Amino acid sequence: MPVVELVGVTKAYEEKIAVSNLSLSINAGQMFGLLGPNGAGKTSSIRMMMGITIPDSGAINLFGKPFERQSLDRVGYLPEERGLYRKMKVLDQLVFFGQLHGLSAEESRRRAIDWSKRMEISDSLAKKTEELSKGMQQKIQFIATLMHDPGLIVMDEPFSGLDPVNAVLMEKTLLELKDQGKAILFSTHRMDQVEKLCDSICLINNGKAVLAGKVREIKATYERNRVIVEFEGSASFLSSDEIAEAKNYSGHAEIKLKPQGDAQKLLHEAAAVAKIFRFELVEPSLEEIFIETVGGKANA
Amino acid sequence: MRNILLIARREYMEQIRGRAFKISTVALPLLIAALLFFSSTMARKANTGRHIAIVAEDAALANEVRQQLFDDKYAHYYRVDVSAPATAEERAMWQEQVRAKAIDGVLAIDSSNPDKISATFTSLSVADISANGSLRNALNRGVINERMIRKGLAQADADAMLAKVSIDALQLDKDGKIGKSNGGATVIKATLMLILLSIPIMLYGLDMARAIIEEKTSRIFEVMLAVTRPSDLLAGKLLGVGGVGLTQIAIWTIGATLFMGSALATSLLTGDIEIHFSWQEGIFFPIYFVLGFALFSAIFSGLAATCETAQDLQKFMWLAIVPLYTAMGFLPVMIKDPNSAWSIAATLFPLTSPYTMISRMGMAPVPYWQIALSVILLLLTTWATLWFSSRLYRVGILMYGKRATLPELLRWLRYS
Repeated sequence: MPVVELVGVTKAYEEKIAVSNLSLSINAGQMFGLLGPNGAGKTSSIRMMMGITIPDSGAINLFGKPFERQSLDRVGYLPEERGLYRKMKVLDQLVFFGQLHGLSAEESRRRAIDWSKRMEISDSLAKKTEELSKGMQQKIQFIATLMHDPGLIVMDEPFSGLDPVNAVLMEKTLLELKDQGKAILFSTHRMDQVEKLCDSICLINNGKAVLAGKVREIKATYERNRVIVEFEGSASFLSSDEIAEAKNYSGHAEIKLKPQGDAQKLLHEAAAVAKIFRFELVEPSLEEIFIETVGGKANA
Repeated sequence: MRNILLIARREYMEQIRGRAFKISTVALPLLIAALLFFSSTMARKANTGRHIAIVAEDAALANEVRQQLFDDKYAHYYRVDVSAPATAEERAMWQEQVRAKAIDGVLAIDSSNPDKISATFTSLSVADISANGSLRNALNRGVINERMIRKGLAQADADAMLAKVSIDALQLDKDGKIGKSNGGATVIKATLMLILLSIPIMLYGLDMARAIIEEKTSRIFEVMLAVTRPSDLLAGKLLGVGGVGLTQIAIWTIGATLFMGSALATSLLTGDIEIHFSWQEGIFFPIYFVLGFALFSAIFSGLAATCETAQDLQKFMWLAIVPLYTAMGFLPVMIKDPNSAWSIAATLFPLTSPYTMISRMGMAPVPYWQIALSVILLLLTTWATLWFSSRLYRVGILMYGKRATLPELLRWLRYS
């Protein structure tokens, strides 16, 4: 049973169609990436899942039932537009959000303290939100999203504004939650994170799903025509007839072969002029698939 | 309902703990007290130390008027010079003294025709009503006294005939009870009630609007809307902020009651001013506050949701100011005749009734049907405004980037 399911959902604002006939589903224990260029309809889709806006047509099911507001108590939502009460103390704020999700004040307080230790912000609990850095505020919002132990976690651009250390901490936490059986959906522009974290993706463009499925399966459908070469010596092999495009970063070359390009022939040519440490035929990255699919219009 | 109460409690606690609440709770009564104290002190000062001259042909009449002025406890003349019979030079000299601000004025009595005595009072200020009143009174009593003496009455008989008669104004209330009426106190009370209702209604209404814009700017709405409905969010905010207003009024009421019963009040509040409140005013004051607050807050909440900055909201300030000024404009009309058609209209019209009805109740008994109609009209208007505002609110709080145009606002009203 999918935790969240969109079936033929369409939403239009005035003349602009934000989301058109979008269908997707996410199961428990699955990390799902919702991708697309700016204005593609990612936030509109998420807002409909959260009941903030209502679809013009189609259906949204949460936890196996048609959408109802009570189900939102089991959903944790981190919107793209972050927001906290600036004058409120961090602990009060977390307790308030916990209570809004149905927890008692005591339970809410206990969980807020536990989570703040886990996210390394215990020292900030007594401070007002406005006194904290943006990254710290993001961690507080992250806790507010998760402290009621939701079955579905929806995060719109969760890693934006985080330094690498905190981004790793958040990635680790999300992977732990996934292992606990939570369904996680997040939208991002960071393809490296999608590749690292997501099992499945849905790439939308102009409100329509243009690519969807398991990351592994999607990548498998693309030809392995990329070569990574690490070498020492002459780089003259990079002008081979087998190569369509090549980037050379001082001994590390990223090569795209011509449609009929022969990787074995290229390896021989390279070995003839340089010492080869690595010669790997790789599948295209998600970023390349993304750019290719949306016609280079992405803002990633 | 749980979420509405949680949101209301958060709003309430946040505001109660805030510096603005503490300052306004103390500052507003102090400001009103300072204004009352200042105006009464100024009025008292204006009535003391007045120095005038009386110029006349008839010395006896002039001296009698002088005596009458000194006998009048409200007149406060510390020196009255008399030139009688006055020469042309003396008259000119006193006029010059007025011009040089050496004296406050010259009362010139023309008694050349004893049957038609007239007088002029020359001063640099023509608007001194109380001074003119006491002069008129003294002159009339002086002339009457003179006429009685000329007719052969003994001074003692004339004094007996001129003995003052006081009038106690009594006011009959709805229950048939008779109470002492005090015109000055009624005016002060009516003004005070208008101030006490209008300032919190305006302050808290605008506070709501400012909070909505701030929350819109801080992007908190999207987080909140994922856990609660826009209507619950608005209802919670209204309840919380309204509760803060009621708390403040309760603090003022308790403070005023304690102050009135204290020795300090006895020493400060000397004179004829006694202000009493009826049970009716006690019941309807919070009702009109709550409804007035709900109405103006609903107006401003809807509009604030369409704004991007506090500056955008400034354009709508006239919606707050016009009803308040209109209510203030009606105050003299109501004081003159609390049951006139205009007074009734001002207390039935929903945009002014929260400010005016309590003031009118303090002036004269208001028929029950008018109170009921006023409350019903206010309720209906508040309900309709809330309906419109919640529609603007739920769309507006998620619209970022620019202030909405009128056609856009009309479209928002149609969104389901």
